[in-house]
Amino acid sequence: MDVIEQLAGSVTILEPRGRIDSVTAKEFGERVINLLNIGRHQLVIDLNSISYISSAGFRQLLIAKKSTLEKRGKLALCGISGEVKRLFDIGAFDELLPVYSTREESIASMQ
Amino acid sequence: MNSAAIPEQEGRSPSSDLVGLTPKRFRKKKLIARFLAHAYRDPVLPPNTKKPAALIYGADDRLSAGIALSNGLQHVGLISINLVYPLLICRLVGAPIPVVEDMLAIGMMVLAFGTIIQVLRLGPIGSGLMLPSTFTATYFAPCIIAARIGGLPLAFGMTLFAGGFEAVIAPLLNRLRTFLPVELSGLVIFMISVTIGIAGMRQMLGPTAGPVSGAEWAVAATTLGSMAALNIWAKGLARMLCALIGLIIGYISALATGVLTLPLLDPVFRAQWLGIPHVRHVAWSFDATLMAPFAIASVAAAMKAAGTVTICQKMNDANWVRPDMQSVTRGVLADAVTTVVAGLFGTFGTNTSTPSAGLASATGVASRNVALAAAAVFFALGFCPKLTAMLAIMPRPVVVAALLYALAFILINGLQIMMSRMLDARRTFVLAFGIIGGLTVEIFPNSVKLLPDSIAAIAGSSLVTATVIALLLNLVFRIGVRKTATLLIEREQIDPQKIDDFFIKQSNTWGARPDVAKRASFGVIQLVDAVAENCWSHGAMAVRASFDEFRMEIVITYPGEKIEFPDERPSADQIRDSDEGARLLAGFMLKRNADRVRSATKEGRCTVHFHYEH
Repeated sequence: MDVIEQLAGSVTILEPRGRIDSVTAKEFGERVINLLNIGRHQLVIDLNSISYISSAGFRQLLIAKKSTLEKRGKLALCGISGEVKRLFDIGAFDELLPVYSTREESIASMQ
Repeated sequence: MNSAAIPEQEGRSPSSDLVGLTPKRFRKKKLIARFLAHAYRDPVLPPNTKKPAALIYGADDRLSAGIALSNGLQHVGLISINLVYPLLICRLVGAPIPVVEDMLAIGMMVLAFGTIIQVLRLGPIGSGLMLPSTFTATYFAPCIIAARIGGLPLAFGMTLFAGGFEAVIAPLLNRLRTFLPVELSGLVIFMISVTIGIAGMRQMLGPTAGPVSGAEWAVAATTLGSMAALNIWAKGLARMLCALIGLIIGYISALATGVLTLPLLDPVFRAQWLGIPHVRHVAWSFDATLMAPFAIASVAAAMKAAGTVTICQKMNDANWVRPDMQSVTRGVLADAVTTVVAGLFGTFGTNTSTPSAGLASATGVASRNVALAAAAVFFALGFCPKLTAMLAIMPRPVVVAALLYALAFILINGLQIMMSRMLDARRTFVLAFGIIGGLTVEIFPNSVKLLPDSIAAIAGSSLVTATVIALLLNLVFRIGVRKTATLLIEREQIDPQKIDDFFIKQSNTWGARPDVAKRASFGVIQLVDAVAENCWSHGAMAVRASFDEFRMEIVITYPGEKIEFPDERPSADQIRDSDEGARLLAGFMLKRNADRVRSATKEGRCTVHFHYEH
């Protein structure tokens, strides 16, 4: 799994590509924690290029949300569609995670 | 939600009218308020339903009385063409005009009743969706046979039976899919239209029909031509109500050409504007030999009702994925109860109106209030003897033209349903031999005289013959239809991509839908994820996938313990902070991902069974 990283002002945008499953979830979670540890507390995770996410991936997203809040930062998710949207729906994760339609909306939510 | 276009909900609590009442009246009114809240005011759509952009008023939206009434009138206009079915059945058995008038008046009230119980949710009955009732072509052929053998009482009695039979099969529809595949329902619809078309043409050209004058041909051509022309070239309301306008044009041309004379109009002149219909024509009788044709017709009616409920579900939900079978069953039960009531009060079988679902989709108005308005209009029309008398004297060429217009859409719909499936050799034989068998009975009616009397009564119906042939061939040809493939996964070499590739390849080979293959693939990968750490102790995991056109079954066997499939999602804290919480989440997602899940452990090996409807 590759992760593209971009900066938009004080907001860090992460765009993972491929699958977030039991093999890759930990690596992705560590990447988020590392960013928080170096002071990047405003994170947008764009899931547009993700083809699959397992329960391990969702667990990492929940850990990322809690860690961000502990650092008094903000986390927003966007780019959820197709199969990933179906998986969000079956787990009702939009109740647990801050989900926005577009990257722009996610960045705006950081203000 | 499409908030810009949505009117606000009324938001009144059922108890807001209860202030200042005596305790007895309070309790009574509270009970009524609770009943209404449950049956009508409570939302019928699931809370996470997303309204499609094209839909202005969804099932749960309330609208003003004016909008509801104008839309209700459109539905009544659309449905009224189907009054031609009971009318023609009465004509074919020579029922007197007053009986036809009463039967039509009661028929309209039955349609009102059916529309209301569909929109309410009374016990297990009613989908809660905007789905008016209509008379149906489905019961036409069986009713003709019954009425010819035992008069109208036998047709009414067997209609009661058909409604009861539909109620019995309503909860079983999903399980009967193997025996009643989609293409077979297409065949039934096609044969229904063929039967009606031939019955209609026999009115003009049959050996017992009176000679047809030039004026009658002209009236038939004008009626049918105007209906078709309005449907093709008109716009808006004129197109929507083309059948009704065509009927009016038919009457006018019949008057102008002398086909409809003043003496023939006498029952209309004598009829009152307002009056209560009689039930003196109501009587019932039963004949066991007619159970087969009525049972087949009721299966066709149930399948059509299920289809119409599904159309309405889809119309109301932008994220619709698959039919909500509970709502479908409730809708079919409401349809069945309406047919029972129709038989009980001396009229013919009904069905949910597919054109009404189409109209709701076209106008973007699918609110339940519209159904109530349509029911009110039908109920009121039932008390207008002048109108029913006018319908009862409908001239022969107008009846035939209306019938041909109505069946054109049914016939093509039947063909489309048959052709919607990939017609392999199995299905080709099932459909072709079914159609040939049915047409043989229509063209050579004497051919059944060679059969014993009890079978001849059944085989004498082209619809029944075609359906029975197709049902039997479908059963025989199912031998060897199931396909299977197995994938072995080593615990030390787990590769999710390999699992995904397996399902993509197999679904392409089998012709399975990609969305079902994706769900199956997710199920296996997620299970592997969940059990790999703690439950799967050693050795290989065997994934056996099997598929037929109705389902995909995945049976996964591995040495080790089984995982739990909870009904409730674990809390965010549980998921985050414990491995057990993460496993529970996996089990929860797996349960929601499949249509059915079960697991068992035997002699140290766990077997998980995922079932996906196709």
